Amino acid sequence: MNAAVAQSPIVSITNVTKDYTLGKVVVPALRGVDLQVHPGEFISIAGPSGSGKTTLLNLIGCVDTATSGVVSVAGQDTKQLTERQLTHLRLHTIGFIFQSFNLVSVLSVFQNVEFPLLLQRKLDKNQRKERVNQLLEQVGLAHHAKHRPNELSGGQRQRVAVARALVTRPQLVLADEPTANLDSVTGQHIIDLMKELNQKEGTTFIFSTHDAKVMNHANAVVRLADGKILDRLTPSEAKRALAVGAEGH
Amino acid sequence: MFQLFLIAFRNLGTHRRRTLLLGGAIAGVTALLVILMGLSTGMKETMLRSATTLATGHVNVGGFFKVTAGQAAPVVTAYPKILELVRKEVPELDYAVQRGRGWAKIVSESASMQVGVGGIDVKDEPGFRQVLQIHEGNLDGLNEQGTVLLFEKQAKRLQVKVGDTVTISAPTMRGTNNTVDVRVAAIATDVGMMSDFNVFVPSNTLRSLYQLRDDTTGALYLYLKDVNQVPVVQARLRTVLADAGHQLMDNDPRAFWMKFEVVNREAWTGQKLDITNWEDELSFITWTLTALNGLTGILIFVLLVIIGVGIMNTLWIAIRERTREIGTLRAIGMQRTRVVAMFLFEAMTLGALGTLAGALIGLAVCLGVDAAHVGVPAAVAMFIMSDRLHLVVNAGSVVGAMVFITTCTTLISLIPSFLAARLKPVTAMHHIG
Ligand SMILES: Nc1ncnc2c1ncn2[C@@H]1O[C@H](COP(=O)(O)OP(=O)(O)OP(=O)(O)O)[C@@H](O)[C@H]1O
Ligand SMILES: [Mg+2]
Repeated sequence: MNAAVAQSPIVSITNVTKDYTLGKVVVPALRGVDLQVHPGEFISIAGPSGSGKTTLLNLIGCVDTATSGVVSVAGQDTKQLTERQLTHLRLHTIGFIFQSFNLVSVLSVFQNVEFPLLLQRKLDKNQRKERVNQLLEQVGLAHHAKHRPNELSGGQRQRVAVARALVTRPQLVLADEPTANLDSVTGQHIIDLMKELNQKEGTTFIFSTHDAKVMNHANAVVRLADGKILDRLTPSEAKRALAVGAEGH
Repeated sequence: MFQLFLIAFRNLGTHRRRTLLLGGAIAGVTALLVILMGLSTGMKETMLRSATTLATGHVNVGGFFKVTAGQAAPVVTAYPKILELVRKEVPELDYAVQRGRGWAKIVSESASMQVGVGGIDVKDEPGFRQVLQIHEGNLDGLNEQGTVLLFEKQAKRLQVKVGDTVTISAPTMRGTNNTVDVRVAAIATDVGMMSDFNVFVPSNTLRSLYQLRDDTTGALYLYLKDVNQVPVVQARLRTVLADAGHQLMDNDPRAFWMKFEVVNREAWTGQKLDITNWEDELSFITWTLTALNGLTGILIFVLLVIIGVGIMNTLWIAIRERTREIGTLRAIGMQRTRVVAMFLFEAMTLGALGTLAGALIGLAVCLGVDAAHVGVPAAVAMFIMSDRLHLVVNAGSVVGAMVFITTCTTLISLIPSFLAARLKPVTAMHHIG
């Protein structure tokens, strides 16, 4: 842990706010968030629905821009980057598992997973094939490589999204409720896969979840409520806190 | 990049109905465009072919002879020598004929009319047989002296049939009136405006009407193997004839019968030659060509605008519907330029396939209609100087139409794909619809 802290953070968020404007109404989704994530960390973001988890991940993933404050990813202030550089960062540094999967409907499972590799242009055809098949194997979809996304169940689609995010072996993986649509066995399997990558390759993971079992695997649980960070807890502390909170539901 | 093409192709395949609709619309415009162009080119060609056979050669050596300053006759004297010179100096020549020119009154028992009289040696005029359809009688009848070829409309006005006799009356060069009686040898189907004011008689009959010598004619009509050689031949003839000692008139790009006024005002007497081309002689009808071109242009423009708007609409909807997909691709690291390129490629593929199909359909229709010898209404026949529809497909303009429409389709799709690619990935991903 100490070694990780000594390194400069891969994600550094300073006093970030995000407002959505709906017509004339301004909805504050984040109201002054500070967060540091170091390489190799496995962080869970917890919070009730509407607390701003997705919003926060979108900012870190460079698919959205903050209203104010500084979001730095891999040592670069995202406000200072051109659209082209942001796209480059998304392709080479970040893997994003979206809450709503967002697969390309006209491509097969294999082609969806392969797509980021094609954009990267680092691997040749055989290497790509090997990498994609290996990941499909790991998420349990080896036999569905030729299917189109609309021929898959919600859980299977989620696993394709996981495979697509991990295929480039990014430094930073963002996952928005990666296990929400999975049964507990598959969910556990996906978490194990992430954990393994985290330990073997030092990949940094930031994922949002409601699932207490998933939080168990995290180094830290960041609790978000109403657009603000409440605290940063260890998994066991978080479980206790959640148990109290759950009575309110 | 291969994957871009793959997505593009897959998209076209997945949204089959829309692809067919759009492709069909594009094919439709292309086909219509090809047919319209075929029609317009065909009409022009028919018109020019009829007119160049009946009223002018590609290049003409005509002229005027004046006994006194104010009395010009549209004749070329001692033409065999000139013809000999032409044959020697113009290797581009396909064939040449001599044609008598006159303006006379034609009188039957019940009516009379003023007409242009052409003197022909029918056996030397291969074009006549191709252009004219003989309704009654026989073209070979004109081999005999004292005969006349009328058109249907004239025959009706004069109330004559083949075998009947009419009288042609005209003032001679000496200022007296002369007449000849001619027998109607053939009645040809009308060929538009030409048939309103032209009849044909054997050369010698015309000569006897005007009391001209055997070596005198109206003009030499030269038909070239390649029409594009006209300016060259025309220029060469001017020098060659001038060098041979002939007097030449200044170039005046009008039909010969429009020049009397000018020629009569000039002081010279004797023979002067006038070198004209088919465009000069037909200048009085080229407005119909201009009108035809204009009409075709307007029609094509309106068509393109209407269908262009339709295609634009559908294409825009198609691309808007895929805004979420664009958001996703952008979010996982696809550059904007790539996204735009992908959509452009898709539109281009659609355009290319659509226009290809359309061009083939248009081509088939053109060839079919042309082969079917479809008749045309009298009003149209008047302009195109043929009673049949003739379509000519020009390969260059078909390819031009294809390229043009494909380019339009591609450019139209540029705007929505650019707008979609410009969105923030997250905005695009959450786009509804
Ligand atoms: N595109 C948007 N336009 C307007 N308001 C939005 C938009 N996205 C989110 N919000 C608002 O911002 C707040 C935070 O939303 P966010 O999606 O980040 O919550 P969340 O924690 O991810 O919720 P959940 O657990 O349901 O996914 C909510 O009040 C939401 O209504
Ligand atoms: Mg969310």
